[in-house]
Amino acid sequence: MQLFKTPNIKFLKYKYIALAVTAVIVLAGVLNITVFKGLKLGVDFGEGTLLRVMMKSPSTEGQIRDLLQTVGLGKSQVQKTGNTGREFQIRAMEAVSTKASEQDQLEAHEALADKVIAALRGDDGRAELSRGLVDLNAVDERTLSGLLEGAFPGSGPDAAQKVIAYRNQNGIIADFQDLAGIGLKPEAQAFLKDKTFLGKLTIMSRETVGPQVGADLRRKAVQATIWSLIGMLIYIALRFKLEYGVAAIFTLAQDVLITMSLYSFTNREINLPIIAGILTIVGFSTNDTIVIFDRVRENQKLMRGKGLEEVMNTSLNQCLGRTVITSGTVFLTVGALFLFGGEVINDFAFLMLIGTIEGVYSTIYLSCPVVLFWQKWFKPKNARRR
Amino acid sequence: MKKNLQWKVILALAVIAGAIIFAYPFNDTKIRRGLDLKGGIHLVLQVITDDSINMETDQEIARLEELLKKNSITFQKVTKEGIGRIAVQGVLADEEGKTRDLFEEYTRDWDYGFTGDRANLTLKPLVVQLLRDQSVSQAKETIDNRINQFGVAEPLIQRQGSDKIIVELPGVDNPDRVKELIKVTAVLEWKLVKAGPAADEATLLQATNGQIPDDAEVLKGDPKRAQGGFYLVDKVAVVTGKDLRTIRRTQDEWNNPAVSFTLNADGGARFEQVTGANIGKQIAIILDKKIQSAPVVEDRILRTQGGVIRGRFTPEEADDLVVVLKAGALPAGIKYLEERTIGPALGADSIRQGLVAGLVAIVAVMTFMVVFYKLSGFNAVAALLLNVLILFGALAYFKAALTLPGIAGIILAIGMAVDANVLIFERIKEELALGKGVLSSISQGFSRAFTAIFDSNITTIIAAIFLFQFGTGPIRGYAVTLTISLCANLFTAVFISHLLFDLTVKKTAKRMSI
Repeated sequence: MQLFKTPNIKFLKYKYIALAVTAVIVLAGVLNITVFKGLKLGVDFGEGTLLRVMMKSPSTEGQIRDLLQTVGLGKSQVQKTGNTGREFQIRAMEAVSTKASEQDQLEAHEALADKVIAALRGDDGRAELSRGLVDLNAVDERTLSGLLEGAFPGSGPDAAQKVIAYRNQNGIIADFQDLAGIGLKPEAQAFLKDKTFLGKLTIMSRETVGPQVGADLRRKAVQATIWSLIGMLIYIALRFKLEYGVAAIFTLAQDVLITMSLYSFTNREINLPIIAGILTIVGFSTNDTIVIFDRVRENQKLMRGKGLEEVMNTSLNQCLGRTVITSGTVFLTVGALFLFGGEVINDFAFLMLIGTIEGVYSTIYLSCPVVLFWQKWFKPKNARRR
Repeated sequence: MKKNLQWKVILALAVIAGAIIFAYPFNDTKIRRGLDLKGGIHLVLQVITDDSINMETDQEIARLEELLKKNSITFQKVTKEGIGRIAVQGVLADEEGKTRDLFEEYTRDWDYGFTGDRANLTLKPLVVQLLRDQSVSQAKETIDNRINQFGVAEPLIQRQGSDKIIVELPGVDNPDRVKELIKVTAVLEWKLVKAGPAADEATLLQATNGQIPDDAEVLKGDPKRAQGGFYLVDKVAVVTGKDLRTIRRTQDEWNNPAVSFTLNADGGARFEQVTGANIGKQIAIILDKKIQSAPVVEDRILRTQGGVIRGRFTPEEADDLVVVLKAGALPAGIKYLEERTIGPALGADSIRQGLVAGLVAIVAVMTFMVVFYKLSGFNAVAALLLNVLILFGALAYFKAALTLPGIAGIILAIGMAVDANVLIFERIKEELALGKGVLSSISQGFSRAFTAIFDSNITTIIAAIFLFQFGTGPIRGYAVTLTISLCANLFTAVFISHLLFDLTVKKTAKRMSI
């Protein structure tokens, strides 16, 4: 099967239009980041706290927000995740005085998480707790094991393990009825029904990063980005000519800027995996650039007497099948990740989706034109001789 | 079969066998799951190393006072000027030489100087450095002990930088309890009570005219233990946690959880003497400056007898007290810098979703390759499957943790791995289109595509290496899976694919399915 029958698209004819489009996007993005919305830093970089909870009964983002409103945290972001209608991701932020010590700031964030949980629970379970009952949706295995062992000597740990395994599998125990099928003795079931209660929610995760570590991670993210850019630049400059290395810098800068811009427009948060994603895109885009440059290098020997622009165009066309297919397969896999990979990795997958396309675009319409301009401006004699 | 082909087949089979041996049976025992998939707690804590310098300063002050008195040097007072800074005030001018000699001999760790009648002592920077470092390693050891006593499988406790400690506890589902267990300083002291309990400090100090006597201090009861109120206690402890010989969980006469202890010879003797001399008085049991209980001494407690600490403990609190007392006190306070708790349910969820996404991705890519490249597509599929197998083998071999971003890395690598195959296949097609023979097209395709494949894999690996260098836990997992599978890719897409063509395409073939 052949994707394209000897394609001959004059890609580089549209280089000025493309450069203008790129410039507009990058400029708008940079303006948006520096002047208007800015980048939203995630919990990894020391901003607020992130909670994932599962509710016993289905709820809506609105209802959750209303609950948070009661404690003045109505501005928190609430996002429904999964497809059970019971899982929510809550990102709470509260202005903490920057004068407060670092420890106070972290504690304030932790307190914020506690406050969110308290607001979500409301009065639920208060009566039961005061009667000395244990929340089966919050209890840890060790405590439950002790409780059961007290009533059924010898079988406590085993029974506790079964209950906790069920809870881990399902996220939450919605009804004591659900425990019927996990192999508990009827007495044990009755005991649990008597001595425990099912709280309104379980906490799937809670993450808080203090300002010190947040700043540290921020610094490391910047370092990782800069060093890998330098590393790639050196490699390309060694393997190809200087102008290709320079073209690579421009391309990489564009990759980073465009993805960042789209991020600021779509209101998603920057976290550590996003930095990893950006670097992968940069790597992927460089990969693409190298394949084209490699072909240009080869064609320059084969197509003596032809102008560089023509050589590039031919190379782009020759590689077109490969470019479309590989970015296609990567797009397929990242698409699978985006659709099925779950909420935690969703932002990363989204970034990769953009990046896959952007990487190809930047190769054709930035790497190649930069090399062209370089040769036009700095090596006029050289160009004529060829 | 040609001889060098034989060796290639053997190498290929060896790699496959190796990967299977390392990764078999592909479960938890071989592929270590990261915290984000397994659930657990990740803590970054900082040791407040100033505490250890402060402690050293306080001890030095006490030692200095004694030293000066013993050598009958006149002085007004010894004061603490800051962390690691002491001043001796009111030294007589004609005793300065004698004092200098004394300092020279006995306070080697301190730099000193005189201004007028004042001697200034500063802890030497090297000693400060050493003390800070020691306090961090001791804290790490103590935390290590506590976690071991508490019982957590595969804990990871390591130092980071000069004063940080990373604690990773997989599978732990009671974060609050563990956090408290780590953080509590656990300095246990028994001190004689001079007065109390009183509702407030003023009432407490009525008998002493509102002044705290020099040899006493005011402590509060621990509100958790229902022993509120203020106490005036001796500054010097009768015995401390260091004197404990054994300690274990027990029950008091009302069946409430309590902690029993026995003392070592030295501490036991002191305890016997002090209790004998103070029958009818209260003795306070103090944990981290908070009074847990203050029982009345009813009789002389024999040195071997030991005692019981009561204090309305819950069973868990009593257990944890035993753990921290056995493991010893922290040499300095700690504070948390980062706290992440991932519930096991979320981890299980992530694995499920990652598995689904991974399967969809791999099936989609394989289908595409077969539809597009027909029989040659199967060659790519085989290379791809081997790539994933090698990846798992390498993960098991290096004992690298598989994290959620790591799974994303694998899925992404699946997409990128076929890039090499596509480059080669497209090149072969071009050669075929130029009218070259099948075998020469194949070998031309491989050799011409190689530089592009090599260069492009290397650039992504460069990015991954720096990610590993600067990244933390989950991100490192990503960098590792990406790097491994790109390296494996060079082997599978170039070497294995070529070998498969060599084995399947006949020399006389006029056409190939591509």
